[in-house]
Amino acid sequence: MNSLVKGGIILIVALMAGTYFMAGDAFKLGDDYINDLTMLGAVAIIVITVFVALKYVNQIKNDVAGGELAEESWDGIGEYKNNIPVGWGVIFIGSIIWMLWYFFVGYPTNQFSQIGQYNDEVNEYNDKFSSKWTNIDANGLAAMGESVFLVQCAPCHGVDAEGINGKAQDLTIRMNKEQVLDVIKNGQQGLGYPMGAMPPMMAQGADAEAIAVYVAGGMKGEAPASFAACSSCHGVDGKGMNGMAPNIAEYDDTLVTKVLENGKKGAIGAMPSFKGRLNETQEKAVAAYLNSIKGE
Amino acid sequence: MFHWLEQRPFFFAVVLFLTISFAGIIEILPDFAKASQPTVGTKPYTTLELAGRQVYIKDSCNACHSQLIRPFKSETDRYGMYSLSGEYAYDRPFLWGSKRTGPDLQRVGNYRTTDWHENHMMDPESVVPGTVMPAYPHQFTNMADIATAYANANTQKAVFGVPYDQEGMPKLGSWEEAQAAALEEAKAVAADMKNQQVKDAVANGQVPEIVALIAYLNSLK
Repeated sequence: MNSLVKGGIILIVALMAGTYFMAGDAFKLGDDYINDLTMLGAVAIIVITVFVALKYVNQIKNDVAGGELAEESWDGIGEYKNNIPVGWGVIFIGSIIWMLWYFFVGYPTNQFSQIGQYNDEVNEYNDKFSSKWTNIDANGLAAMGESVFLVQCAPCHGVDAEGINGKAQDLTIRMNKEQVLDVIKNGQQGLGYPMGAMPPMMAQGADAEAIAVYVAGGMKGEAPASFAACSSCHGVDGKGMNGMAPNIAEYDDTLVTKVLENGKKGAIGAMPSFKGRLNETQEKAVAAYLNSIKGE
Repeated sequence: MFHWLEQRPFFFAVVLFLTISFAGIIEILPDFAKASQPTVGTKPYTTLELAGRQVYIKDSCNACHSQLIRPFKSETDRYGMYSLSGEYAYDRPFLWGSKRTGPDLQRVGNYRTTDWHENHMMDPESVVPGTVMPAYPHQFTNMADIATAYANANTQKAVFGVPYDQEGMPKLGSWEEAQAAALEEAKAVAADMKNQQVKDAVANGQVPEIVALIAYLNSLK
């Protein structure tokens, strides 16, 4: 046994003893097999590291070069015509093969895409949404509508949907008197109903006043004679003749969908379009929720 | 050849320099040509919007609001389409922000309106109960700096080649033209507002900060 091996063994023992001295009390053999395996691994790492290092130290000290000399000489320094080590050759050829694979197969087909991941996430969500809510009942719709409302609508219309003191539409009623008068005076356009835009000044003065009181009051009792100007498009019951014109009696699916899609400009201000932000079920859900809080 | 070079340190150094320079050139030069490419439909800010952007920076909106929507469904549901690098092509400086005390604002123009902003900047609690956002009433009385915004736009045009005054892009023109255009835009914003003081100021040819800021926020789409 030469002095190098002795030195290596002393180093290994010293390292393990030092470790035991510093942290030995935290370790009990047989206490936890993960800890045991870790310690075994640590010992193996120390032993292998020390002996591999010793092998090379030994080589540097004792190896003598040999073989056939090359013809070229650099200021008296020669070079042997030895082959490169086999391991180097294998790694060299292997990395060329790996490069070809990575250039033509690995990178083009396996690369990560953030947008691809996003699209997968959205598709997965949409599939889950449609399979979970295909047969949603009226109560489920209203509950879904409430959660959609709180996120998308409440910032302007308020959590109670009452429009935050007139800063937005009070969604617990259909229209108040001022709003009816405003729409009679200015007309309404851009909602995209088959009937088209409503022209301004359909009624005036006392007639308009009577209509406003009747519509804002929830269309109860006898309709004033002047309501005929409205009913030709909005229907005698004000429900918009099955989606031909806006429903002025209540929020139905068509009205909510059209307003979400086109936005709306009215007596209070402008509402932006929410096109593409909600899916069809969610839009219906908002309508269902608005109907469920009517007149609270 | 190597034998010859190895005996002549000076020429060896020259060849070494050329070799390394060549590697540097093919790696570094392409990046100089790679400017930020604007996405289709991205336009530079108008003078009024730039003035609003200065207000946004001055009042440190970017300390609490980000302008960067990450590609996660939870973000796109709330803030709209995820951000693309080309959308920031004309942003100098970027206002990505690093912290969201408030919501992201990159597409706030899609889902908030002039009147909402007016209420919100005057008294945030009145439209968002429980909010921690402070009120900014001084924006209703301070005047926006249109001249600096015009200089800013002109600098960007001259130095960075931002395509002002081109077809389909915002027009800068002379200072008088730009001033008139900014006032015209301000009038359109003020028409949707309710604050009489602001309306009067705009009618007198002045532009309060709030009008510029709302024009900027409405342009974020």
